[in-house]
Amino acid sequence: MPPAILAQGVVKAFPAKWFKPPLEVLKGVDLTVPAGRIFGILGPNAAGKTTLISILATLLLPDAGRVEVLGLDVVRQAQLLRRRINLASAGAHFLWCLTVEENLAFCGRLYGLGGRVLRRRVAELLELFELTEYRRVTFDNLSTGLKQRLALAKTLINDPELLFLDEPTSGLDPEMARHLREEIARLNRETGLTILLTTHNLREAEILCHEVAFLKDGVLAVHGTIPELQARLGLGDRVRLRFAGAPPALDYARLPGVLAAEVTDAQVTLVLDRAEVRLGPLLALLSHNGAPPVSVRLKEADLEELYHELAH
Amino acid sequence: MNLPTEWYQIWAFAARSLIVNRRNVFAVFEMLFWPGVAILSVGLLTRFLNLDSDTVSFILIGVVSMNTIQIAQLDLSYSLLYDVWSKSLKHAFIAPVRLGHLILGAGLVGLARGLFIFVVMGLLSQQLFAMELGRPGVAGLVIFLAGLFLNAAIIGISVLILVLRFGHRAEVAAWAFSYLLFLLCGLYYPVTILPTGVQWLAWFLPLTHFLDYFRQFYGFPASSARPLLYGFTQSLAYLALSYVGLRLVLNKSRRRGTLLKLSE
Repeated sequence: MPPAILAQGVVKAFPAKWFKPPLEVLKGVDLTVPAGRIFGILGPNAAGKTTLISILATLLLPDAGRVEVLGLDVVRQAQLLRRRINLASAGAHFLWCLTVEENLAFCGRLYGLGGRVLRRRVAELLELFELTEYRRVTFDNLSTGLKQRLALAKTLINDPELLFLDEPTSGLDPEMARHLREEIARLNRETGLTILLTTHNLREAEILCHEVAFLKDGVLAVHGTIPELQARLGLGDRVRLRFAGAPPALDYARLPGVLAAEVTDAQVTLVLDRAEVRLGPLLALLSHNGAPPVSVRLKEADLEELYHELAH
Repeated sequence: MNLPTEWYQIWAFAARSLIVNRRNVFAVFEMLFWPGVAILSVGLLTRFLNLDSDTVSFILIGVVSMNTIQIAQLDLSYSLLYDVWSKSLKHAFIAPVRLGHLILGAGLVGLARGLFIFVVMGLLSQQLFAMELGRPGVAGLVIFLAGLFLNAAIIGISVLILVLRFGHRAEVAAWAFSYLLFLLCGLYYPVTILPTGVQWLAWFLPLTHFLDYFRQFYGFPASSARPLLYGFTQSLAYLALSYVGLRLVLNKSRRRGTLLKLSE
C-alpha cells in the first residue's frame, strides 16, 4: 500500500521584517506516513509542527522539496487533494453567530454537499459527537470542550481519507482531552482513517500514535514507536530488584527488553523498554534460577525525560 | 464540472451571508438607516436650494447609486472579514472551493440587497422629491443597475485583496475605498468641474460613464459618445484585473503564511 504522506527535503522559511534574513523553520524534512495509522509529530513550541502540517494540508506552500499526500502533489494537485483531507487546529474557531448545525452545514457546502445528503451528514455528525442537543446553540455560547468537539465533527464532514489534527487537545481540561483522544482512536480503529497529529504532549502521543517523529531544529530528528525511541535513547521503566544474598549470575544486559543493567552486592537495577511486558518473564527467570528477589520496586518511564532528551 | 456541487459551494457563502445578515440587527439597520438618511438629507437640501426637477434628479441619482453600490459590495467585502474576525479562515481555504465560489456566493446576496436598496431609494425619491426613476425605461434601468453591480463587485474584490494582504487592518478600507471612488466619478456633480488632471482620472472609472449614461435621460448630455461601451469595457477589464490580483494575493498569502496568521 502506498504511503499516505511522502515528503522529501521540505524547506520553508518566512520573510522577516526590516532586512533581517528569512526565518528558516523547516530545513529539509523527510517524512513517510503509512496509510491507516495514527502518526504523531512531536516537538517543542516553535519547532515548526504547525508549519509542516499546514504544508501537508495545502494551506502553506513549501519553498523547496517534494510533498505527496494520498498520491497527489500538494502544490500542483492541491484542489483535488482538498476533497480528500481535512484539518482541525487547537483552539477551535468558527463564525460566532452561526449555530453548531449551521457551521457544520456551511463546511459541508464548501465540500459540495447539499440537500438531503448534507442534512443527513450533519445529523450523523451531531449524533456521533453528542452535539445534537446543542445544534441550535451559536458558537460563541459553546464551552471550550464543545467547540473542540465541533471542530472534530467538522473534520469528518467530507468523509476524509486523511485527517490533520494540530494539537487537538490543547487547552482542554483533562477529562475532555481524554474523551477527545478516545474519539480520535475510535475513528482510526473503526474507519481506518489515517491521522497525522501534532502534539507536545508525549503521554498523548504514547496513547494515540502508532508511530511518532520528533521535529527539532527544522528537521525530523528521530522516528519510530515510543518504545523504540525509548530503547534508542536508553530510556525506559526502571526496576530495582533486591535479593537476600548475591543476585543470580546472569547477563542482565542481554535479557529481552533490557535497555541498561547495573548489578551491585544484593541489588540489580534494570531499565526495561516496557515493564508491564518484561517484568513477569524476568521474575519467572529469577525464580527458576533459585533466587527470587525479596523486593521489587518499579518506576515507570519518565516520558518528560524522553522529551527532554529529544528536545535538547 | 459537477453543477450541483458547484452550486452548493457557491451557496455556502450566500447562505452564510444571509444568516449573518438575518441575525445581526445592526446589519438590517445599516442597510436601511444610512440610505434613508442620505436620500432625505440630500433631497431636503435640493428643496432648500430650490433646484429644478432635472437637477434634483441629477443629484439624487448620485445618492441612489452610491448607496446601492455601498450595500451591494458589503457582502463581498465582509465575506473574508467574517472569517478573519472569527479566526476561521482556514475552513474556507482547506476546502476545495475556488475564489469564484466565494465571489459569486457573497456577491449574490450583495446583489439582492443592492437591488432592494435601489428600489426603496428610488421609491422614496419618487414619492418625496418627485424624481422619475422610471424615465429611462426598463432597459435603461437594467443597464444602469448592471453597471452599478459591476462597480460593486470591483470594489468588493479589491477589498478582499486588501483583507488577504493586511487582515484586520483592511476593515477601514471596506468603506474608504468606495468613498474615494465616489469622489472622483462625479456623484453629485459633473466630472467636468473637477481639476483637469483629476478629470482625466475620472474617465478611467467605469462609474463615471454609467452615471453619464443614466443622466442623459434627465436632460444632461453625455460627455462621451459611447458611455456604455466605455463603462462596460472598463468594468470588465477591472473585474478581470481584480480577480487576477486576488488570485495572486491568495497565492502569496499561502507562500508567506498570511493565511495561517489570519487564522490565529
